[in-house]
Amino acid sequence: MIPVTHLSLLSSALFCLGVYGILTRRNAIAILLSIELILNAAALNFVAFGRAFGHAQAQAFALFIIALAACEAAVGLAIVIGLYRTARTVWADQVNLLKG
Amino acid sequence: MPALLLIPGLPLAAFVILILIGRRLPPPVAGWVSVGALVGSCALTWAIGGDVLHGHRPHLQWPWLSAESGFWTIGLAVDGLTWLMLAVVTSIGTLIQLYAIGYMRGDPRCSRFFAYLSLFCASMLALVMADHFVLLYAGWELVGLCSYLLISFWFEKPSAAAAGRKAFITTRIGDTGLLLGIMLLAFAAGELHFDQLDAVRSALLLQHREFLPTVISMLIFFGAAGKSAQFPLHVWLPDAMEGPTPVSALIHAATMVAAGVYLVARTFPLFTPQSLAAVLGVGLFTHLAAGTIALTQTDIKRVLAYSTISQLGLMFTALGLGAMPLAMFHLTTHACFKALLFLGAGSVIHATHQQGLAHLGGLFRAMPVTAATFLVAALAMSGVFPLSGFWSKDAILLTARHEQAWVFWALLGGAVMTAGYIFRLYLRCFHGPAPTTPTAVGVHAQESPLIMTLPLMALAFGAAAVGLLGSPVSHQFFHLFGLHEAHEGLDLAMLAVSTAVAALGAWLAWTVGVQHRNLVPAAARPAGAALYRLAAHKYFVDEWYDRIIIQPFLRTAERLSRFDLRVIDAAVDRAGLTGWSVGQLKNWFDQRVVDRLVNGTAQTVQRLSRLGRRLQTGVVHHYLLVLTAAVVVLSACLRWF
Repeated sequence: MIPVTHLSLLSSALFCLGVYGILTRRNAIAILLSIELILNAAALNFVAFGRAFGHAQAQAFALFIIALAACEAAVGLAIVIGLYRTARTVWADQVNLLKG
Repeated sequence: MPALLLIPGLPLAAFVILILIGRRLPPPVAGWVSVGALVGSCALTWAIGGDVLHGHRPHLQWPWLSAESGFWTIGLAVDGLTWLMLAVVTSIGTLIQLYAIGYMRGDPRCSRFFAYLSLFCASMLALVMADHFVLLYAGWELVGLCSYLLISFWFEKPSAAAAGRKAFITTRIGDTGLLLGIMLLAFAAGELHFDQLDAVRSALLLQHREFLPTVISMLIFFGAAGKSAQFPLHVWLPDAMEGPTPVSALIHAATMVAAGVYLVARTFPLFTPQSLAAVLGVGLFTHLAAGTIALTQTDIKRVLAYSTISQLGLMFTALGLGAMPLAMFHLTTHACFKALLFLGAGSVIHATHQQGLAHLGGLFRAMPVTAATFLVAALAMSGVFPLSGFWSKDAILLTARHEQAWVFWALLGGAVMTAGYIFRLYLRCFHGPAPTTPTAVGVHAQESPLIMTLPLMALAFGAAAVGLLGSPVSHQFFHLFGLHEAHEGLDLAMLAVSTAVAALGAWLAWTVGVQHRNLVPAAARPAGAALYRLAAHKYFVDEWYDRIIIQPFLRTAERLSRFDLRVIDAAVDRAGLTGWSVGQLKNWFDQRVVDRLVNGTAQTVQRLSRLGRRLQTGVVHHYLLVLTAAVVVLSACLRWF
């Protein structure tokens, strides 16, 4: 039985990896992938603590998160395609319409 | 009684027509429109004449103002006095307008002339028909306006424009007296209808003794004196001769100037013995003074103008003696022969284009009709039996002899002068030696056309015969005034005196005026020359007015203008300048302080926002970095604090 500490450490590592990826990657698709990592870190947290405290609802949340991640990926990819159509690029740092 | 309305209405309609479309009518038509309207009025007047003579009093009233205390009426009324004036104005007016068609032929503003003449007739008729002081005053002012317009009808001449102005202003001074009198009467008695005057008089006498009626009647007489050119307001009438001669005949001899006599006759009940004495004094003085001036004038029309003033003075003398019907009788006969004299003079002027006696002479052969009619008028005016002037003047002389003997002797002197100046005029125009000066054109003069001589002949008949209506032959005239007792009969002594006086005047005119013989004894010559100069300069009345009224007035005006310029204008300028300086100061403050504050604020904000916009890079990573850092910091805070 893997202790919950290890599992939370893993999910923390996954989360940090995701944040690092978001902050460093310039490609919008890579950013999307990093977001998936963060979501999965959250899902892993739910599963780990759900098993440790014996809460079945936590497992259901993990399932919801997977579904949510799928939706998010669809919406995110749509945004990326829209972005490419208008800006002719998927490099996130080249799109600076909000620059003051 | 619509006929009453039509009497002034017809000339008024003619005026409206002529003033609106007169310029598009061919010139003679304009004259005929005017004459036609007046003929209509004349016919209506004579049509109601029989009724009036039998005591019928047509009266037309309509409501005028309504107020809390009932309402006032105003209207037209005809009694004997009014009817007489109507007959004089319409009959003589018709003849003069007929004459004017010939006289004004070729004048570019002919239609305008007849429009004014029609307006004059309408207002004069309204004046005499008014049954109320206010309507009379309206007509009174309107005739003054017409007089002004017609005197300055040839306004291209500066002298004519000045004469019109003088006439208007001088008569206005009198009119102000009349207005004050009317207002005083309205306040004191509250009744302005003429048919109530007897009641008003007794009420006033009961309440205020004789003082108030005297004041009111003197004010009314002042107005009458202005209109009738009595001393001291006579100065406008000689200058009024600048107008066309038919105007002089109609307005300034026969009708309008007689309005003053009519006014006094109309308001006769208001006159107290004191005011009648004043009327007598002014009238007599004017009669004699104007007579002497007329003896010395060298312009035909001016002689006639002073003669008019003198004769009006005679009428006022009769009024002052209390003989109102006699004054009206003389007014009627005077209207005939004076209109005739003026029209004759106009005929001479029309033929020769000369007005100065020095340039005229010996016209009898060239202009027989004019000369003969002029002679009839001159005889009538001198009071030669049995022409009209004899009856009217001798009636006044007889009254004077009964009332106040000294007036009688003064009037006899006036009669000598009357005969003197009128025969001087007649003899020098028509009989004296023809002038030899090269400017004279009298030699080539021709008789005026029929349209001008016809009125002359009609008026000559009038001047000869009208007097018979007030003579032993017929007493019709005085029936108009409700006097029915028989004429006293012919006073043979008076007849002899009158004829002698007229003959004396004519003889003097021939010897002194035409043959230039000096009858004054050598010792008295310097005094005589001084007297002559005095009269020839019209007693320096104009000069006195100039010195006493006009020059001080101008000087005061000048001083006031300087005050205006130096004080008021300066103050206004200073105020404006101060305002301008304050404005400059405010402008400086606005630009330097207010604007800088506003701009400074804006610039500060701009600078700060330039810093702020640096935060907004638009790169999503930067936002996320900040977000992440914030989460980390907040988490740390939650954990340790």
